[in-house]
Amino acid sequence: MKRVVITGTGAVSPLGNDVAAMIEGISQGKSAVRYMEGWHKYIGLRSLVGAPAKLEHEKDIPRKNRRSMGRMSIFAVQAAQQAVQDAGLPQKMLSSGRTGCIIGSTMGSAISLNEVFEIMIPKKDLSQLPSMKFFQCVSHTAAMNVAQCLGITGQVVAPSAACASSLQALGAGYDLIRLGRQKAVLCGGAEELHPTVTGSFDIIFATSVKHNNDPKNTPRPFDKQRDGLVCGEGSGILMLEEYEHAVRRKAKIYAEIIGYNTCGSGSHVSQSNREFMVSCLLEALNDAKISPENVDYINAHATATIQGDNEEAAAIKKVFGGSIPVSSLKGYIGHTLGASGSLELIASLAMMDKGVIYPTLNLKTADPDCDGILHVFKPLACDIKVIIKNCFAFGGINAALVCRKLSPE
Amino acid sequence: MKKEIITKTNQVFEESFEINKNKLLPEMNIFNDLGLDSLDVVDLVVALQQKFGVKIRDDERIRNIRTLEDIYSFIFAIKNGSSSLPFKEDKQ
Repeated sequence: MKRVVITGTGAVSPLGNDVAAMIEGISQGKSAVRYMEGWHKYIGLRSLVGAPAKLEHEKDIPRKNRRSMGRMSIFAVQAAQQAVQDAGLPQKMLSSGRTGCIIGSTMGSAISLNEVFEIMIPKKDLSQLPSMKFFQCVSHTAAMNVAQCLGITGQVVAPSAACASSLQALGAGYDLIRLGRQKAVLCGGAEELHPTVTGSFDIIFATSVKHNNDPKNTPRPFDKQRDGLVCGEGSGILMLEEYEHAVRRKAKIYAEIIGYNTCGSGSHVSQSNREFMVSCLLEALNDAKISPENVDYINAHATATIQGDNEEAAAIKKVFGGSIPVSSLKGYIGHTLGASGSLELIASLAMMDKGVIYPTLNLKTADPDCDGILHVFKPLACDIKVIIKNCFAFGGINAALVCRKLSPE
Repeated sequence: MKKEIITKTNQVFEESFEINKNKLLPEMNIFNDLGLDSLDVVDLVVALQQKFGVKIRDDERIRNIRTLEDIYSFIFAIKNGSSSLPFKEDKQ
């Protein structure tokens, strides 16, 4: 099996449109959550908060490429361009067939989908539909647009597993490279904010509804006062590369991916299940050939839903006990859904580099049901050699990825 | 009317296809000179329908359009309820 390393990162996040801005915001304890103007017009929508990213410089993308992109694909392309530039991978490598592109999302562009409905439904008239709406709405819109725009000719794949989409993308890229099928794979996820997206969580009582007037105080992962998740948007993209290939071209290496697992719970469509979370975490560690005590930091999924946080805390406690630091980044950037795994992994790699663990924003008093794990309440200096990143999605999808800091050899 | 058709058609090319108005000369080939492709033509038809309040999607004459002048003539013919394209002849 080939070894796989991360050689580039790129981000469009609610805290800023590159990795540096996102990390700067997190390190300063900033929240990107705000009251969403206009959302009150949606009857029945109780959660009026979100963590929006800023759409800017989109016209830098040529029209012929941009015409098939909704908001999320523009975010994905911009993050991908950053990751490619950061990795320093030449264009001929992207277009060699040896570089792939695996980018996931919950679905296609929610904004474009709503525009289609608004054009088509009132008179049941399809004749006014522009040709590009289809390409903006398809589930593989981010992956195909990035591949088209960047000229990537290897495998193009779009995992769609809601909040686990980007971690599944990273895991799939890891597998392709370690099996020798690709030399490099651009991996990650993208998502966009829209009242219908938040609404889909609001309908099933999973959103934060008590903080429309004080948005910075929500979401509150693991906290006793938490009342649900807050949707965010953006894109996180990482360049995965075969270790030998990266070393030969003297690339900067952020970390080595040493383990991955994804599994289903097979029990409930929306309720996460600690038993299968435990299985997923143990299998990821087994794949990495390390013990739980070898992990220095756990980047939790923890979205601030009552049930989800309870289950994840119980699973972490069961596998790791109470001595390994755990934090969630949802308080800073909201739940970026299909982009959360990759955006939060990028932030975790920055923590590894800086030797500091950023705390769970808005966690003041841990819920007794989330107790027994080592919560991080303030920045914690820590020599991080191994991290594990969790994602747990609707549909009973569990995923975990293990990364190790590469020692100089 | 001809002037209005030219102005509105050129607006479609500026707004929908981001083409500088300096390039919008009647003899310009919409594919070779202005860079449109078959998918853009679908959107061109939708935009022209909205701009001029006409239904042209299933009109066979669209297939013969090559230049901006072809479009001006086509719209002129549609607006006048004609099956021919008199705009070109009229101009000559």
